[in-house]
Amino acid sequence: MLSDFLPLLLMLLIATGLAMTLLKAAELLGPRRPNRIKQKAYESGMDPIGTARERYSVKFYLVAMIFIVFDVEVVFLYPWAASFDEFMAAGQALPVLGIVFFFIAILAIGLLYDIKKGGLEFD
Amino acid sequence: MIGPILFSVFAVAAIAGALGMLFSKNPVSSALWLILTLFCVAGLYLTLNATFIAVVQVLVYAGAIMVLFLFVIMLLNLAELPRLQTGDGKRFLGYVGACGIFAALMITTSSALGVLPEPVSVGVAAETGSALNLATLLFTQYALPFEVIGILLLVATIGAVMLAKRRFV
Amino acid sequence: MEITINWYLSLSAILFVIGVLGVLFRRNVIVILMSVELMLNAVNLTLVTFSQSMGDAAGQILVFFVMSVAAAEAAVGLAIVIAIFRNKLTVDVTQINLFRY
Repeated sequence: MLSDFLPLLLMLLIATGLAMTLLKAAELLGPRRPNRIKQKAYESGMDPIGTARERYSVKFYLVAMIFIVFDVEVVFLYPWAASFDEFMAAGQALPVLGIVFFFIAILAIGLLYDIKKGGLEFD
Repeated sequence: MIGPILFSVFAVAAIAGALGMLFSKNPVSSALWLILTLFCVAGLYLTLNATFIAVVQVLVYAGAIMVLFLFVIMLLNLAELPRLQTGDGKRFLGYVGACGIFAALMITTSSALGVLPEPVSVGVAAETGSALNLATLLFTQYALPFEVIGILLLVATIGAVMLAKRRFV
Repeated sequence: MEITINWYLSLSAILFVIGVLGVLFRRNVIVILMSVELMLNAVNLTLVTFSQSMGDAAGQILVFFVMSVAAAEAAVGLAIVIAIFRNKLTVDVTQINLFRY
């Protein structure tokens, strides 16, 4: 059972190893002759104005929060989708469908509230 | 035998990530260390054969919750704070309390293990953690808690929108 | 060497205590919330360990619910952090000591 995940482990190891090797190789092999103009944020000649570390609007937070809620929802829906055939075979598909749709409807209220409050409007 | 090797690798990396979170000054690196720990816990779920929970762990924790944390750190654009609370007396008290909790946990688990029914060997029950088995329980026996979780998420959504949108004073 | 459930439970206890230390020692509210997430994870590890070793999937259902609660907690907790930050421009718990000012 665990050996099913051996390819995944190998892929993780190879990806991490490759990324680290390439970064280190670029650092060791590449010539680096920095000067003031090259180190500017925009090498094209635009002088940067102000700081790059500005604070963002809270709307981004609302979008991320909605994403979390619906991520959790999808996590609950996945086992339902994966075993829908078994529910069909057991004759339970309809009640389970009702349960799931009720769940989705509850979460949709939250989304509607957010839209009504203007949480997803970017101006 | 690959089981003990995997367990020790994941366990050491999980503890290292947790300690990294505890000791790094920058909140962004704290968050990244915690993501390492969360991935290692997902790996530990795999060694326990709880495959579906492992996937959910990566999806929800590493994929969503930590994204929200990093987002807020970037949103607020924080300056670094001093790492630990000042006042050595308080810190000492904290260490004593943490050691006490650790001792209590270890004593409880070691004494409980004798009382429990004979456990199946770790990782044998592969079908226990399968998506099918979990779905059968979740949508029949635990259907009401499932809907209550939906209401909890709804309340959290509305609360977070209110808190974030409202203009205070 | 056989890995028994004691190893998993001990690891879980260690992670939980590191989370406790984070809550006690850090001053940044966001890192404190992350420590709470770590503690929830340690508890989840215990639940999954017992669930798998006894062949009872109810523990893993509970892990689902804990994860949902963690997501809700993160959403509301971070919204509170944002609301406080708007008023006081800080996330230092030693500075957040008034209901309003």
